[in-house]
Amino acid sequence: MAFDLNALDAPFTALAGFDWGADADFFKSIDAAVVAAHGDTSLRADLEKRFGALLGGSTSRATKEYVCRKLAMIGTGVSVPALAALLTDADNSHMARFALERIDAPEAAAALRKALGVVEGSLKIGMISSLASRGDLQSVAVIGGLLGGDATIAAAAAAALGTLATPEAAAALAGAKPAGDMAAAVVDARLACAEAFLAKGDRKAAKAIYSSISASIGDAPKTHRERAVRVAAKRGLLAAAE
Amino acid sequence: MRPVNAVVCLVILLAFAPPSLLAAEAAEPPSRDVLDSVVELIRSGDADLLPVALEKVRGGLKGEDFTRELAEVVLPGLERSQEKAALIAALSDRGDKAALPAIMAMAQGPAEAFVRAAAIRGVAALGGPDEVPFLESVLFGESGTVDAARGALVAIRSDIVSPRMVIALGDKARSGSQRLVIVGILSERRETSALPALVAAAVDADADVRAAAMKALGAMGGPEQIPGMVAGLLASRTDTERSEADRAIVQVCKEHRSKDLAAAALLDRFRAADPAAREVLLPTLARVGGAAVLEIVDGLIASPDAADRKLGLVALSRWPDATVKDRLLHLVAQASTEEEREMLLAGLIRIAPLPNNSLEPVEKLALVEQTMALCRRDQDRGRLLERASAIRTVETLRFVLPYADQPALAESACQSIVELAHQRKLRDGNKDEFMAALDTVLATTKNEEIADRAQRYKLGKTWERKKQ
Repeated sequence: MAFDLNALDAPFTALAGFDWGADADFFKSIDAAVVAAHGDTSLRADLEKRFGALLGGSTSRATKEYVCRKLAMIGTGVSVPALAALLTDADNSHMARFALERIDAPEAAAALRKALGVVEGSLKIGMISSLASRGDLQSVAVIGGLLGGDATIAAAAAAALGTLATPEAAAALAGAKPAGDMAAAVVDARLACAEAFLAKGDRKAAKAIYSSISASIGDAPKTHRERAVRVAAKRGLLAAAE
Repeated sequence: MRPVNAVVCLVILLAFAPPSLLAAEAAEPPSRDVLDSVVELIRSGDADLLPVALEKVRGGLKGEDFTRELAEVVLPGLERSQEKAALIAALSDRGDKAALPAIMAMAQGPAEAFVRAAAIRGVAALGGPDEVPFLESVLFGESGTVDAARGALVAIRSDIVSPRMVIALGDKARSGSQRLVIVGILSERRETSALPALVAAAVDADADVRAAAMKALGAMGGPEQIPGMVAGLLASRTDTERSEADRAIVQVCKEHRSKDLAAAALLDRFRAADPAAREVLLPTLARVGGAAVLEIVDGLIASPDAADRKLGLVALSRWPDATVKDRLLHLVAQASTEEEREMLLAGLIRIAPLPNNSLEPVEKLALVEQTMALCRRDQDRGRLLERASAIRTVETLRFVLPYADQPALAESACQSIVELAHQRKLRDGNKDEFMAALDTVLATTKNEEIADRAQRYKLGKTWERKKQ
C-alpha cells in the first residue's frame, strides 16, 4: 500500500521547528515512513529530499541529529552533499559522520576523505575513525601520512590502519617511528593487522609482523605491557606457523 | 578395481598433479616447527609463555602423533615438576586418549605428589572403566593423592564406579574416614543406584559418615528413602547432628517432586514409632507441616499428659508457615507457664514476617502488631522489630519508627529502618518519610554500621552487605 505523502507534511513542519525537550510525538509518523521506505524508492527519494532540506539553514541541532539518524538508515548518494556540508561544523560533524559512515555510496567515502584534508583536531580524528569504520581502502595512504604528525591524531591513524589491515597499512605502520604513547598504538595496530592477515589465511604476512614485534621486545620484557605484547606475538607466531 | 591397478593409478595421478595441490597437501599437517616451539616454551619455565604453549597443547597440533610425542617423549623429559603437572593438565584437557598410557605411568610413577595428583586427574579425564580399579587403589592408599583420587572417581565416565564404591562402603575393613570419602563420592556422582547404600550409611557407627549420608539423601533421596532417613534421624546423637538430619528429611518432604508422598511416608513412620521416637520426630514433622500433622499436634496439645502437651506445643512453635497463627495467639494468651509462653511467642515472632508464610503484607504486619502487644520482654520486642523489616512496605516503617524513641528498643528499630531503606524502590517511592526516618536513625544509633548505612541511603547510595 502506497504511503500517504500528504500525511507527512505536518510532522515535517513540526520537525523543522523541533528542539530538545519539545513534544516529539510527530517522530512516530516519520519513523513509520522511514521503515516503509525500505523497498519503496519513490518514498525514499521524497524523504531524502525532505530530510536534506532540514540539514541546512536555521534548524536546531536536535533536528539535525534526528535527521542524520534517519539518513543513516535510508540515505543514498543524494543526501551526501547536505551531510558533507556539516562535516566541518563542530556541533554537527559527529552526527553527519554517523550518517555518512553508514550510507552505502562511494560519494559518502569521498566526502569523508575530502573533509579529512580540511578539518583539524578532534574533527580530524573523527574522519579517520569513520573512514576506518567504512573500510575505505582508498584512504590508507593519506591516513598513513598522518602517523608522523600530532601524537593524538597519529594514534587515531594507527588504530585506523589496524582496522583497515591492508598490506599497505601494515607497511605504513612498520615504517612509523613512534614515540611514547604512540608506540603502544602502533604495536596494537600492527597486531590487529597480523590478526586480520591470519584470518584471511596470509600466514606469511602475519608471521612477519609477529616476528618483528617479538624481536623488538626480546626475552626480557620490562613492563607489564611489554609482557602482554610478547605473549600476543608468541601466540600469533604459533598460530601462523601451524 | 584390483589393488595393483589402484596403486598404479595413484602414482600416475601424483606424477601429473599440479605442484600447488601437492604443496597444499604437504602443508596440511601442522609444522613440526610448531611442536618444537611449543616444547621450547614449555621447557623455558617462562611463566608468561607457558600458558601460550599449553593453549596449543589443549586445542592445536591436531593428531594422535603429536599427542603421543607430547605425552611419551616431551612429558617424561621435562625437568621441573611444575611444567610436568601443567603439561599433564593440558593433555587431559586435549581429550585425546592416546596420552592415557603415559599419564597413567606418571600417576603410578615416583613423581612428586602434586604431579601424580595432576596425572590422576588426567586419568579421570581420559580414562574409563579400566582405570577405576587403579583410582580405587589410590583412594585407599597413601594420603598425598587421596583427594585427587576422590575427585577422579567423581569425574570419571564409568558405570562401575558406584557399584564398586557401594561394595567398598560395606567393607568392614574400611575406616570411618574412608567410608566418609566413599559417601562423598557417591553423593557427588548423584547416581540413584547408590541410594540403598546411602540409607545404610545413615545409621553408620561413625557420626561424620551418618551426617554425610543424610546430607546426600536430602539432596538425592525421595519418598522411598524416608523410612531409612527417619532411622538416621533417630540414630543421631547430638543436637547438631539431629538438626542436620532433620533438615535433610524436611528437604525431601518439601522439595522432592513427590514431596507429598515423602511427607506421607514421614507421617506413617511417626504413627508407627514408639513414644520416645515420636518425641524426636515430631519437630521434624511439624517443620514439614500439613493438615494431617496439625491434627496430630492439636491432639497432643489437648492431651492431659503434660509431656504430650509440651511435645505438641514445641511442634506448633516450629510450624513452617502462618496457618497456625490463630492457634499460637490463642495459646500464648492461655499459656500456663512462662516457659510455654516464651516458646509459643518465639514461634509467632518467627512466622509473622516470613516471606512465604501464606499471608499478605498487610496481614503480616497486623500479626506483627498483635505479637508485639503480647511481648513482655524487650528482647522479644527487639527481635520482632528487626524481623519486621522482612515486610517491605512503608506501613512497616510507620510501625517501627516510633520505637526508635524508646532507649531499650532504639537500636533494633534503627536496624529495621535501615533494612527497609536498603530497598531502593521502597525508599525512593516514599522519599520524604524515609529521609526523616533516616535522620532519626542518625540522631539515635550508636552503631557505626547502621549510621553509615543511614548516611549512604540518604545520599542515594547503596550498601554492600559484608560476606559472612
